[in-house]
Amino acid sequence: MNIFLRELKANRKSLLIWSGITILFVIIGFSKFSAYEGNPELLAILDEFPTPVIEALSLKAFNLTTVTGFFGVMFSYFALLLSISAAMWGSDIISKEERDKTVEFSLTLPVTRGRLITAKALSALVNSIVLLFVTWGAILAGAANYETDSEFFSFVAISMLALFIMQLVFLAVGLFLGCAMSQYKRSASVAVSLLLGTYFLSIISGLNKNLEFLKYFSPFKYFNPATLLHESKVDMLYVGLSAAIVVVAMVGAYLSYSKRDLYI
Amino acid sequence: MSIIEVNHLTKYYGKAKARGIVDVSFNVEEGEIFGFIGPNGAGKSTTIRLFLSLIYPSSGTAKIFGKDCIQFGPEIRQEIGYLPSEVFYYEGMKVLDLLNYSASFYKKDCSKRLHELADIMELDLTRRIDDLSYGNKKKVGIVQGLLHQPKLIILDEPTSGLDPLMQRKFFDLIREENERGATVFFSSHILGEVQKMCNRVAIIKEGSIINIQDIKTMQQDNYKKIRIAGNGLDETRFEVAGVNNLEHENGSINFFFKGDINLMMRLISEQEVADVTIEEPTLEEIFMHYYE
Repeated sequence: MNIFLRELKANRKSLLIWSGITILFVIIGFSKFSAYEGNPELLAILDEFPTPVIEALSLKAFNLTTVTGFFGVMFSYFALLLSISAAMWGSDIISKEERDKTVEFSLTLPVTRGRLITAKALSALVNSIVLLFVTWGAILAGAANYETDSEFFSFVAISMLALFIMQLVFLAVGLFLGCAMSQYKRSASVAVSLLLGTYFLSIISGLNKNLEFLKYFSPFKYFNPATLLHESKVDMLYVGLSAAIVVVAMVGAYLSYSKRDLYI
Repeated sequence: MSIIEVNHLTKYYGKAKARGIVDVSFNVEEGEIFGFIGPNGAGKSTTIRLFLSLIYPSSGTAKIFGKDCIQFGPEIRQEIGYLPSEVFYYEGMKVLDLLNYSASFYKKDCSKRLHELADIMELDLTRRIDDLSYGNKKKVGIVQGLLHQPKLIILDEPTSGLDPLMQRKFFDLIREENERGATVFFSSHILGEVQKMCNRVAIIKEGSIINIQDIKTMQQDNYKKIRIAGNGLDETRFEVAGVNNLEHENGSINFFFKGDINLMMRLISEQEVADVTIEEPTLEEIFMHYYE
């Protein structure tokens, strides 16, 4: 409990910064939307975009002139923001102990390495959840100025569930990299590179039918906002796949961290 | 009972198999102040980090309180106080918060001892860790390492950064803890402080133990470093048994001597000297001249 609370306190600033970024993002997003709202000319312009661009920006499935459609397009950006924060928190919360050389203090106390990981993982999880609720709140507050319907609220809610699962996946991957990599200085950058790599994979997999199998390797493809909107449910196959990634990454994190030398 | 038992402990680092320590074996008995000396890079910190299971041995074992360091690490560490050579703490915390945080891991109430120690070391508990000087951080380390009244105290070059007054207070504190029953493992590269504090000493060089000796015997067979200055000194008079590394430069004679100091005094009195110094050789000199 003491480790968990100390980590929460130590990460307050980082949480504030990420919350600020997310809120700013929502504000900018809605200020753009105010230009699209109820503007049929925009739809005509978008119709002339090449298909791959439309696909990549998921403009096809949504009507940009409604709040619901606009949020659908924004979904992937929120996914990026929340995933990056989760991956960085995950890797950093472990690797910073070696980077700041505090590991010679924290792990010479009578604690097991496993207990340290558990407490830190829970602390990073709480941060991720708080950021998710901040995002949710900011979106609802931003949408309050526009015409919304019940479909919008349930769409946002199911999207939040999908975003939460993605956070869990990248948090676990980040934790694994923080635990497993002896080059602790690089674990955060590797985590984010991996994340951006899978993001581009998700775009590539949409460009060509032959590359569609790549979607299994990109958590960004697991939850399609269009499906979330029209079917109001998450695809259980991908929930299972996400759960598998989380379990494997966490087991890997505990095993590798308990066995390796710590560098001071 | 042996508090520390080290058996053929060996550590190579990484894929390159960089030497840490090789086949190190020794025991530390209960109530002892055991010195562990060697130059930088000899493997002192490696040995200590193996004790604390921060790193894992390539082969061999280390036992503390009769229990394997790896298998029973957290349990053993309940009773270990560790002061690293350089202390690093979480930034943004106040000294008192950090010490309370540390105390919260032990199964006893440490708050009384915490404040006693802070008083002795003149540590301001209200300051932030980030604002502390190197020496003051070291004081935090001392309080943190001793607040749970450990049975085994492990010190890794503990005096660096402390002013002489604080060093004395610190050594008094360690002696008190020792009289209370604590065993002390004292790693240092300063021979003088080890000689003052310890009962026995192990000397480590390039990863291997080259000697384990009683401090008294060691002092008896210690070499003296003698320097004589003056005009027209006759260095050939000093070419006697027990003299080593005789050098004559800039009107002074330097050499190491081991043997009857009275004989040496008579030899010196034959000369017209301007100055004489007789001192303990530094550890480096002992290594360079006698362990090659």
